[in-house]
Amino acid sequence: MFTDKIELKDFDKMDPEYKDLLGHVLTIQADCEIGGPHLYVEKMLPAAPTKLDQLIVARTAAEEIDHYRKVARVAGDIGVDVSFVLSQPNEKRFVETFRGSITTWEDNSVFGFLIDRIGRYQLEEFYDCSYLPLQRILPDIVTEELGHIEYGYNKTLELIQSGDAGKAKAQRAVDFWYVRALDMFGRSGSIKSERYRYWGLKRRSNEQARQDYINEVGPILTQMGLTVPDPNKGRRYN
Amino acid sequence: MPQPVANLEQIDEHLMEVVRALHGAVKQGVSHKDEPQIMDKAITDCKEILDEIMAGKVKEWLN
Repeated sequence: MFTDKIELKDFDKMDPEYKDLLGHVLTIQADCEIGGPHLYVEKMLPAAPTKLDQLIVARTAAEEIDHYRKVARVAGDIGVDVSFVLSQPNEKRFVETFRGSITTWEDNSVFGFLIDRIGRYQLEEFYDCSYLPLQRILPDIVTEELGHIEYGYNKTLELIQSGDAGKAKAQRAVDFWYVRALDMFGRSGSIKSERYRYWGLKRRSNEQARQDYINEVGPILTQMGLTVPDPNKGRRYN
Repeated sequence: MPQPVANLEQIDEHLMEVVRALHGAVKQGVSHKDEPQIMDKAITDCKEILDEIMAGKVKEWLN
């Protein structure tokens, strides 16, 4: 296992596999950061239930754009140009969850609650990682993601507490996003995931991170009065 | 040292400006919660800024 800590000035000396993996993971991260606003801004900015919610949609998008900027900076400094993801159509996003568009408030709420939580999980993979410029941008990004998760949770809870119809909408949205969330961790037993861990760029295997997520989210859904979807139903990756 | 990407600084600065403008508009709206006209103006401003970013015409940002 590689245990050194790398600064930008050391990057040129690194193994080609390390350079390739770091560039790849930064590109995907940048795509996911900008992919969020591309999913919800068009329909949700005008359609959020209150003016305050409209402004919070805009603030969330601003924070995700800033996350993109920070990741793009780390990538750009090592010569990896991720700017193409700024103009990439949604259907070409690296991660399937970001292909399409969010058209209902319940989907927007559950997206924050469940998918921004995946964002937090992915960023936590880089805690104490071997590439220090990446490690340094994490605290502010994770703090903002926690805000998105909390907002999504609160809006989902409001919907549940609004009555049977609201609860049914929330459950449908959870059923839709939960399996997509689990697939976002990638394949169990992935060789690439092992290489990320070997180079100190990630901490957990895909299956371990996914299981941690299941263990965290299940009790929250139950406490909210929702049914935890079958974690194996409708999955693309196991 | 690796060679940084061309236009990295310009895109970074442009996006920093965009984020700053969005936060400014949101703050203006949120701090006038009881004044619908100010909130509407803030939402319109956010929409204009975000529409430009969502269009993704990066070359135009740099001109």
